[in-house]
Amino acid sequence: MSLYARLAWRNIFRNKRRTYITGLAIAIGLAALIFLDAVYLGMANNMIASATASFTGEGQIHGRDFLLTQDAGKTVADLDGVMAGLKNESLVKEFTPRTLSQGMVTSTANVNPVLLVGIRPETERGLSQMDDVIAQGEYFAGDDPQNIVIGSKLAELLEVGLGDRVVVTVSQAGSGELSQDLFRVSGIYRFNIDDLDGGLAFVRIEKAQAMLGLGGRVNEIALSFKDPRVSQEEAHPFWAKYSTGGNEAQGWTKLFPALKSIYDLSMMATWILGIILFAVVALGIVNTLFMSIYERMFEFGVMRAVGTRPWGIRKLVVLEAGSLALLSIIFGVVLGFIFTVIVSRTGLDYKGVEFAGVTIKELIYPVMQVKQYILYPASVMLFTLLVGLYPAGYAARMSVTGAMKRTL
Amino acid sequence: MNNQHRHLIQTEGLAKVYSDGSLQVPALRGIDLTIHAGEFTAIVGPSGSGKTTLLNIISGLDKPTAGKVWLDGKPVSDMSGAELSDFRRDHIGFIFQAYNLIPVLKVEENIEYIMLLQGVPKGERHRRVHDILRDVDLEDYAHRYPSKLSGGQQQRVAIARAMVSQPLMILADEPTANLDSKTGADLLDMMRHLNEVHGMTFIFSTHDRMIVDKARRVIVIRDGLVASDERRN
Repeated sequence: MSLYARLAWRNIFRNKRRTYITGLAIAIGLAALIFLDAVYLGMANNMIASATASFTGEGQIHGRDFLLTQDAGKTVADLDGVMAGLKNESLVKEFTPRTLSQGMVTSTANVNPVLLVGIRPETERGLSQMDDVIAQGEYFAGDDPQNIVIGSKLAELLEVGLGDRVVVTVSQAGSGELSQDLFRVSGIYRFNIDDLDGGLAFVRIEKAQAMLGLGGRVNEIALSFKDPRVSQEEAHPFWAKYSTGGNEAQGWTKLFPALKSIYDLSMMATWILGIILFAVVALGIVNTLFMSIYERMFEFGVMRAVGTRPWGIRKLVVLEAGSLALLSIIFGVVLGFIFTVIVSRTGLDYKGVEFAGVTIKELIYPVMQVKQYILYPASVMLFTLLVGLYPAGYAARMSVTGAMKRTL
Repeated sequence: MNNQHRHLIQTEGLAKVYSDGSLQVPALRGIDLTIHAGEFTAIVGPSGSGKTTLLNIISGLDKPTAGKVWLDGKPVSDMSGAELSDFRRDHIGFIFQAYNLIPVLKVEENIEYIMLLQGVPKGERHRRVHDILRDVDLEDYAHRYPSKLSGGQQQRVAIARAMVSQPLMILADEPTANLDSKTGADLLDMMRHLNEVHGMTFIFSTHDRMIVDKARRVIVIRDGLVASDERRN
């Protein structure tokens, strides 16, 4: 260990109580930053999963302008080619085709507007969670084309139950002619998300295509990825690859701009917390170092008198700041890790809380990442060394005779 | 010119005025002085006479308002701050009144400190530390921290630190002030011995009658001027 490093390390233990109190404050701040970053990340993942896994999927492919116009006639171009491409795509985990059309559902008691979704039940099962949230009846059991599955809220509005009949009216693509058919309620689901439970009705895709006059065409292909991070990367080549030939491929960040904002906000919250922590670190370090310098004025004077250059004094004080930071970081990382691990096992219960239109459905589990244990501690160290330059400069510029007034 | 006649310190018209707002306090009013290598000199005078200011300026710790200082023939006023630090490190040993050791360094590390700054190789450093500890009779205390030593032992370590880098001169400010008379006398004998054996130049700023009695040159400063300059055999 170099002379100055040895001096610095020993100096910080000259006033143990002060060092431990300052170090503890920094350590708790760092631990809080690590833990809250993990919680924010867990919460964001939870919200994204709630929004995408329920029904939407992590990404979607549409015919150009479909999302803008909601025109059922705007279908996915080169459907066979796109489906074949997705089947061979190593990034893609699941995908399923859908038709989407605004329509009306009429019961003997009431009438309600819905988004009629034509699905392929066997592939839809892998992508959305509708089959998991069936509250009554079954999820497209058998092969009856007149089955319809609706949400609990819609059932309540229409005053229908299992086995009841409803009439669905849609407007045919292209011609605009009205098309009606009679369905029997075979299943009622409950996502506990108002928009899904009250505004959607699901039928088999072949039936929907027939009603809409689409032939074999579809309006949407919903998909999920093996690595969910792909869906967040707007510049990922996947999107460009499937946004050709009149199609648009988009991830959830574009499909749910509000959710993306929430996600960005949670990341920003970590930064804001980090800035507050660094301000506390700065004040703590500067205060501790100045107290230490004032107590050792004479000693600095002696060191300068016997030939220590101002640069040496500067280096010593910065190394003292670094030593204090090192101690704090070790303690803070251990504390942050333990706390995060404990909560990762128990989870935080915010189930049922709705935020930005998304209902949290699962326990929030903090997500540990390497950056929390490298980037944040390294930032604390770097920042500490930087703020240490201020008291270090003060000590280095001190007049030798001023520091040693009592003697030479 | 042999070493005994070498001009180690030379001052010419040295003046220093301290300013405190509109108040001007002259500390030195024109000191012309020459100190040769190997001298054992005491600078004496009442408090506020200017002896401390004189030592500060001689050692390059402070700057004069007027006049010049040459250390070993080199003009101090021409040196930059870093050059002055290096000059002090390589050519001047300091002994202060008290509390002059670095408390977090052990005895041997305190003595080694200046040699570390000088970049002396490890083997050479250890040999010199061992030799000087033997000279000041502290071989058994090498691994102790200063707080575990008596006042006299601490001053002996300070003397060892001042001497170990083999400087041109040692400046000592009231080195016996915080010691009992027996310990002070022993230390003084030791310094006198080092002066006689190694030819080391000692300059004391002191009130201590014992130092004045043993000095071979006594310079009396009064009101910022040299009142008398007596050489003894």
